[in-house]
Amino acid sequence: MDWVSSLLLATVRLAIPVLLISLAELYGQRAGMVNIGLEGLAAIGALVGFLVCYITGSNWLGLLCGALAGIAVNMIYAFSTITLCANHTVYGMAINIFAPALASFIYRVYFGTGSDLKQIVTMSSVAIPGLKDIPIIGGLLFDQSPMVYLTLLFVVFTAVFFGRTRAGLSYKSVGEHPQAAATLGINVIGVKYLACVICGALSGIGGAYLTTCYSSTYTDGIVAGRGFIALAAVIFGRWSAGGILLACLFFGFCDALQIKLQVSGIAIPYQFFQMIPYLATVLVLSLIGAKQAGPRANGQPYRREQR
Amino acid sequence: MEELLRMEHISKRFGNFYANQDINFSVAKGEVHTLLGENGAGKSTLMNILIGLYQPTEGKIFLNGQEVRIDSPSQAVKLGIGMVHQHFMLVEAMTVFDNIILGDKHAKGVFIDRAARRKEIEALSEKYGLDVQLDKLITDISVGEQQRTEILKALYHGAELLILDEPSAALTDIEVEGLFAIMHKLIGEGKSIIFISHKMREVLRISDRITILRLGKVVGTVNRADTDGQKLANLMIGKELTESQYEKIDASGAEVVAELDHVDFNKESKHSGLSDLSLKIHAGEIVGVAGVDGNGQTQLAQLITGVLAPDAGEVHLKGKRVAVFDPNGFIEHGVCHVPEDRNLQGLIGDMSIAENLVLKDADDARFSKGRGLLLKKRAIGDYARRMAEKYDVRCTSVDQSVRSLSGGNQQKVILARELENDPALLVMAHPTRGLDIGATSFVHEQMIGARERGVGILLISADFDEILEMSDRIVVCFEGGIMGEFSGKNPPVEEISLAMTGK
Repeated sequence: MDWVSSLLLATVRLAIPVLLISLAELYGQRAGMVNIGLEGLAAIGALVGFLVCYITGSNWLGLLCGALAGIAVNMIYAFSTITLCANHTVYGMAINIFAPALASFIYRVYFGTGSDLKQIVTMSSVAIPGLKDIPIIGGLLFDQSPMVYLTLLFVVFTAVFFGRTRAGLSYKSVGEHPQAAATLGINVIGVKYLACVICGALSGIGGAYLTTCYSSTYTDGIVAGRGFIALAAVIFGRWSAGGILLACLFFGFCDALQIKLQVSGIAIPYQFFQMIPYLATVLVLSLIGAKQAGPRANGQPYRREQR
Repeated sequence: MEELLRMEHISKRFGNFYANQDINFSVAKGEVHTLLGENGAGKSTLMNILIGLYQPTEGKIFLNGQEVRIDSPSQAVKLGIGMVHQHFMLVEAMTVFDNIILGDKHAKGVFIDRAARRKEIEALSEKYGLDVQLDKLITDISVGEQQRTEILKALYHGAELLILDEPSAALTDIEVEGLFAIMHKLIGEGKSIIFISHKMREVLRISDRITILRLGKVVGTVNRADTDGQKLANLMIGKELTESQYEKIDASGAEVVAELDHVDFNKESKHSGLSDLSLKIHAGEIVGVAGVDGNGQTQLAQLITGVLAPDAGEVHLKGKRVAVFDPNGFIEHGVCHVPEDRNLQGLIGDMSIAENLVLKDADDARFSKGRGLLLKKRAIGDYARRMAEKYDVRCTSVDQSVRSLSGGNQQKVILARELENDPALLVMAHPTRGLDIGATSFVHEQMIGARERGVGILLISADFDEILEMSDRIVVCFEGGIMGEFSGKNPPVEEISLAMTGK
């Protein structure tokens, strides 16, 4: 029982960063921006979050600056793909190569190349009185770091935004049929830039969560493919906030399971357990890939005077 | 009648090319004013100016006597101008309801008040007879219903002036009647309509006034009562157009260039298969395939050009049985193809006119060294310029992308490529679909010219008038089979029409 509940607890904690990054991608793709540079955005967010937290001692300030760093880097992608109508994949990939390298460069410039591990204090849990005593789900949902609550609230907000609001409807139309949106007076270019700001911010926070709320240190490769798993989660979650939440919990569970199995002392090389989340991703994508149906104008440049 | 819109001395220049030059145009309240013109005459440019997508280089626009600046589509919507585009501007993954309220400016609040909006939309739909199913996805409704959704959307956004761009192009005859009924209701309620079309019959039926554009300029504005189809057509293309009467030829003694012998393909499907189909095409004749779209014509064209292989039966080209079905082998046997979808199958939109012209012959010694290893750019350019002149392709340069040409000029590029190959058999699927009168008669004359050079032509068309006008022999395609064969000389029209319905 204890093993199971600690497994579930880890599931939630590990799902949060993927969830943040997936939501970032959702906001991007709903405006037709297929950003595959999430891995890079999260990496720069992780570094900046860690650095600011290390200097100021404030986790919150770290998260905020992680978001700003994500936005700043994502503006390269935004300008190239929206204004210059460049290829989304090329610039997304460029960010994946550029941003993690920039992150480790900054780390080495600041801390030198010494091997001693720099540490910060991760954000502490805040239990919600009363609710935390509910058996099983009490500890799972109501005795977590504030970032967990905020992220889950943001899922609800996202579902309402795209499903119920006028602004959400307009936003979605940009990803589906930008020409139609433009004829109705929707500012297509504006929405696309906004999407990139949101995408950069959420990815940056997702990365910063890893250093300021989860691991307490920064190491190169700390994002560890979560940017790509998030891409899969958006597809697996059928471009809906609820679906993405479930997809991320699934990936979080796989991640938690592999950590548990690594320390369980079973005589299998731990590398095999480490594969579990990635194998699950491949498996899931190959199972649902056939019925893929994303926003119609995903990844296509929008030119106003196109004929 | 009170004037709603006046456009004065409108010019629009792209580079040093005038798409619109000194255009004066006005629309009265409660009027249907038709814009008539060939492809590329400047109708779309003028309308794009009116809805704020383009800025005019010169000129003024007045609405209700007030000068207005329309610098964005949202400004046009605000001023009560709504456009139903030829290619609908509907989000397919959303419902009819969502499409209509999309970008809604007059409702307040963050959330969508579905009940209230629905009431408003239903009231409008009732008033104008615009019957739509609000909760259906766009992908699940018919083209006619999509069009009603577009009109409803424009009205919901407060349109007083509706622009309908080739609204009947995609509709069946019955749906066109419905559209006209709706248009009558709209003008009855004091709305104004700008109607863009080149279907003469419809224009004469529905318009109050007609403005004819040619080469970016206004040729004239006439009242419907003072004109007829012949006069309009002459104004439109700028020269006397005499109804062409082509001679019908009996080529039954000539060489058979292609023969289908009891061919089956995907036999079970009535609408995308062929069953037990036999057909001969002689050199120097035009065989017209009549029939309602979707009775196997697409498959027939693909099979006789080697794109598809039959499940059973034989195909002979010039008396030789075909063993391997691949388009390249057919091309080498002199089979050329003007496919039904220009943009999908006929051309590569982002490549230039010159490149598209030599697509099939790039390894010819005229255009490259070492069988396609090194292209002779200059030779290709010279050739393309000659072809552009010979086939009257209107373009600023042969290095221009094919996508930027109008439909008629795109079709001329395809014709140039296919006819210059000296084909034995030319397969043409809907060769004049969406083309204006001038381009259509150009295509027809090229066909007759090819026939005289001894080319066997298979003409597949859903346009019955075209079949009657062009064919030396007519076969009717119904549910994948041939329903009957008729002589092109004095064809029994009634009988053929019946055969098209399977009787």
